Amino acid sequence: MNASSEQAGSGDGKRASFEREALVHLDALYRVALRLTGNGSDADDLVQETMLKAYRSWDQYQLGTNAKGWLLTILRNSFINEYRRRARHPETVDVDTIEPFAVLSEEQEADPHGRFFDQIVDEEVQRAIDGLPEAFREALVLSDVEGLSYQDIAGILEVPVGTVKSRLFRARQMLKAKLYQYAVEMGYIKGNAG
Amino acid sequence: MNCREAVEHLYEYLDRELTPEVESKVREHLKACPPCGEHFDTEQAFLKFVEARCRSRCAPPELKRRILRELFGE
Repeated sequence: MNASSEQAGSGDGKRASFEREALVHLDALYRVALRLTGNGSDADDLVQETMLKAYRSWDQYQLGTNAKGWLLTILRNSFINEYRRRARHPETVDVDTIEPFAVLSEEQEADPHGRFFDQIVDEEVQRAIDGLPEAFREALVLSDVEGLSYQDIAGILEVPVGTVKSRLFRARQMLKAKLYQYAVEMGYIKGNAG
Repeated sequence: MNCREAVEHLYEYLDRELTPEVESKVREHLKACPPCGEHFDTEQAFLKFVEARCRSRCAPPELKRRILRELFGE
């Protein structure tokens, strides 16, 4: 039986297709789970639960379609239903009404090309992302870390494509502002703000 | 296409979300306008930087073992 005629049904075929199309996305699921939950232990549990749910409903997945998007939808729904409340405080403001804010001009003028980026380590960037409002964080991670299209992100987040664009714009501006601020605090660039 | 229009398409251009027609208009503007070209390059470098700083994380081997055990009894 070749791959294209294989069904996601049961037995060895089910296991083989699940390994080939779902388990290969384990690292992506883990990275998204880490940024959603903010800690490794909850991320482990969330990914495990996602994989178990996905395997149980594997016959609903059409082989060869967008497994990554399908898995990330399950992961996000599990997060919302079971982890969000204890992992982080639920969002209390409507993020889509937050005014976009730009990097302080005097900070950006000190390093217009962002050369200080090289001095910022992985953990600091991840911490800055974790500090973004949840709706911005998830859009940014799905796009900028996992490379999903606006359409796929809209499907996972259940929002219009226009909302994805607007959240991504704000998330990127906010992240950049946080990193510039951090760079000034660390003395990587000179700020005039005092 | 002028500078304001090009900048309005900044992220859609970098994210490869524009139609081929609009994408080529933005590309032509960037070739003709060095300040916009520089602006787009800087934004692209920022996005690559964020990706590189986050992509290094992988699922722990123990998590993979746990999942295989749960799924297939291994």
